[in-house]
Amino acid sequence: MAESAKILTLPAGELRLQPNGDRPKRILIVDAAVACLAKQGLKKTSVEEIAASAGVSRATLYRIFPGGREAVLTAVVETELARFFSRLAVAMGSAESMEEVLVAGIHHGGTQLLDHPALQTMMVTDPEIIIYVVNFEQLDHTIATAATFAEPFFTRWLEPKASRRAAEFAVRVMVSHLIDRDQTVDLTSEASVRTLVRGFVLPGVEALKDQE
Amino acid sequence: MSTKEEKREAILQATYGCLAASGLSATSLDDVAQAAGVSRATLYRYFPGGRDDLVSAVVTWEYRRFFIRLYNAVKECETLEQVIETGLVVAHQAITDHEVLQMILRGEPGVLEPTLVAEAGPTREQIALFLTPYLEREELRDGCDIDHARQFLARMVLSYISAPGQWNFDDPEEVRRLVRSEFLGGILPEPTSLTMRQI
Repeated sequence: MAESAKILTLPAGELRLQPNGDRPKRILIVDAAVACLAKQGLKKTSVEEIAASAGVSRATLYRIFPGGREAVLTAVVETELARFFSRLAVAMGSAESMEEVLVAGIHHGGTQLLDHPALQTMMVTDPEIIIYVVNFEQLDHTIATAATFAEPFFTRWLEPKASRRAAEFAVRVMVSHLIDRDQTVDLTSEASVRTLVRGFVLPGVEALKDQE
Repeated sequence: MSTKEEKREAILQATYGCLAASGLSATSLDDVAQAAGVSRATLYRYFPGGRDDLVSAVVTWEYRRFFIRLYNAVKECETLEQVIETGLVVAHQAITDHEVLQMILRGEPGVLEPTLVAEAGPTREQIALFLTPYLEREELRDGCDIDHARQFLARMVLSYISAPGQWNFDDPEEVRRLVRSEFLGGILPEPTSLTMRQI
């Protein structure tokens, strides 16, 4: 894997290209907010705590984020999503076969979400927010967004229509195991995901390939 | 003299009727008590958490009834492929036509969500159990583990029922294509290629 790729696969806390003092304050504040969310969830996280944890004054925080708490939280979602998808892109982009694309996507995507400290805390403190994205119309939207991201990684092996179907299928498999965990599959284990992919996902994709 | 369980059922039925008639926000505990012919005190005895408790119980109750209806719709099917195809079409139609469910989803989606997520595991187990005899009757692909297969199929059923994505479940041909590949590609020995050759 290229050196740049290694940096992208590091956990968020280690993504420090410069010493702390030189890091742009915006990122400092966003990371502090993620740490607060991981510690105590959404409802208890105030602007004051985010500022204190980032080591900046309340005034500085409002200068960088005039919208206050809401604006910081929006930036958190955008930043974390960008980090999530860029790490996933590195993992899926370096795959050399369709099996590897499927394993990389489901394993890395699932592991990042299951191991995300802020998401884990919020699953307990603010479940309704997490649950919102995986129900009904919102689930359709979530699946479509993720499938649009994953689709290009399949085009090396599949026609465009089949790529879309394969991407949506893989996303569904991952989301299903994220929201409802069982004994047979562990998304954080690459070997377990590979068994799942070889058993059901890859043969499903091979079969749909013949239809498109 | 009705048993406790029957009375609870009657209260849930009455609540459901109120929700269907006037919507979630316009349904009060008094309305429910009146419709069920019980006192407010009785309501609180059965549902100590009050209105939220009752609404959440109705959602769970209706959710289970939905799967019972689904079961009745597919029980005549003979093959694994048929049972999944029919189940998907019937479930999709039932959700689309379900006025109370749609109303709750539009009005106070938060009411439904924790319940549905809490029900996901038990529901998957139910679907997996239901599919077992159909799987046992089929000749499975080499190396296909029947327990993993039924869990996988149950997950896919739930996924496509809750979020149809780009699939049109009103088109039986489309559903057939989906079931033969995404669902059964790893479970039955190459059903698709055989079909394609026949065509």
